[in-house]
Amino acid sequence: MVDEGNEIDTSRSTPAAPETVTTHVEPVMGTVATITVVAGDLDRVGLQAALARGCEELHRADSIFSTWNVDSPMSRVRRGELDLADAPEVIREVLELCDQARTASAGWFDPWAMPGGVDPTGLVKGWAVERARDVLVRAGVAGVMVNAGGDLAVSGTAPGHRGGHMPGCRQPHSRWRIGITHPWKSDSLARVIEVDGSGPGSAVATSGTYERGPHLLDPWSGRPRCSLASATVVGPSLAMADAFATALAVGGDRVLVAPWRSLGGYEAYLIRPDGSELATPGVVTWSPEE
Amino acid sequence: MVLGATLAGLAGVFAFHTHTANGVLAPLPAAGTPGPGGGRSAGAAGGSGKGGSSSSTTSPTTSPTSSVPKSSVPSSSTTTAPTNTSATGTAIQYGYGVLAVRVTVSGGRITQVTVPELRTAESYSQTLANQVIPMLRSEVLSAQSARINGIAGATYTAEAFAQSLQAALNKAHFG
Repeated sequence: MVDEGNEIDTSRSTPAAPETVTTHVEPVMGTVATITVVAGDLDRVGLQAALARGCEELHRADSIFSTWNVDSPMSRVRRGELDLADAPEVIREVLELCDQARTASAGWFDPWAMPGGVDPTGLVKGWAVERARDVLVRAGVAGVMVNAGGDLAVSGTAPGHRGGHMPGCRQPHSRWRIGITHPWKSDSLARVIEVDGSGPGSAVATSGTYERGPHLLDPWSGRPRCSLASATVVGPSLAMADAFATALAVGGDRVLVAPWRSLGGYEAYLIRPDGSELATPGVVTWSPEE
Repeated sequence: MVLGATLAGLAGVFAFHTHTANGVLAPLPAAGTPGPGGGRSAGAAGGSGKGGSSSSTTSPTTSPTSSVPKSSVPSSSTTTAPTNTSATGTAIQYGYGVLAVRVTVSGGRITQVTVPELRTAESYSQTLANQVIPMLRSEVLSAQSARINGIAGATYTAEAFAQSLQAALNKAHFG
């Protein structure tokens, strides 16, 4: 929840009309969500209200979908205690997205193959983050990024552009630069990927072994499996990007030819266990090595 | 606050150049040599904070590299710095153990980040923390140039670090 007492404002009055960037940290969904906002015309009170509503959105999703909380509606659906028809509508909405993602990933993302009943966890975090981002967009912020444990959605102007225009440049500064954690070199980023915050915004989801070890399940065998060191998907929807990144991490290169590539707007950047990298044509990367 | 504005700035360390992939699947230069790879399964996630916190900063106007100390030299007794405030954040429990972050703020800038408390259940976790924490420290110190806007693929350690750092910054009345 937003605690006004914790908010620190270091705005200084300078002639250049400084851009105020506010970063809010919210523990939720078993991880930490970071909300970075370029306030734009929104005043301090409006910004606090918007942040509070964004956080509410995350907590609401958590309370409905948590599979750790045995009393959540999703847990009750999984145990067969709650009929889908009687469950909150968003559960049906999310399961519909899961079904689309399963088809688009040729079955490599399959919440119905998880032990203990249908488990939308691999998609629902991204879905909730997107909704929180959209709450802030509707509140009128100039730019926003919501990042939950490394899966993030952006919209609008990126921090560092002071009003959105560079002299002599007609394009607003809606390009966000996202560092992709290196799977084993902990002191560097693997790549920096550039995504567009204009229009509906963009999402970046990364899946792989990383610190958590092999935690992904192969839907075909039901056993842990991770074919890639790191799989990043960029695209319009974080819910879908999250699911496709998981599918790629589990299934590896073969998932690149699954139907999700023809949805349009989704691109992938992969690091194989031998360190070689692959990117689909639409990925704009900046290399830390050149 | 870390993963957004604060955990930015690695681009200040490296020289980035644009690189657009061509072709259907363009192989990119190798990312490096494989490391220990595997690892083992982790326990449950450990977001144990007690609610959120926020901080605001104005965008930086100076290059951060000129004022980021290369070595850790605490200077709490110096008289040359305008104001020197240090604070230790809440000890955060996470998937692999407990850590706390301490910051020193001087003249409106974060000048030092240390991890005075780090307990992990096993040596494997200790090794990981020893690898990850220096990266996080340097990211925070260089964050004052927001050359990158966010990091995808974060980890338990990074999350715990972010939480404790934010608590420390609040205590130090950063700004």
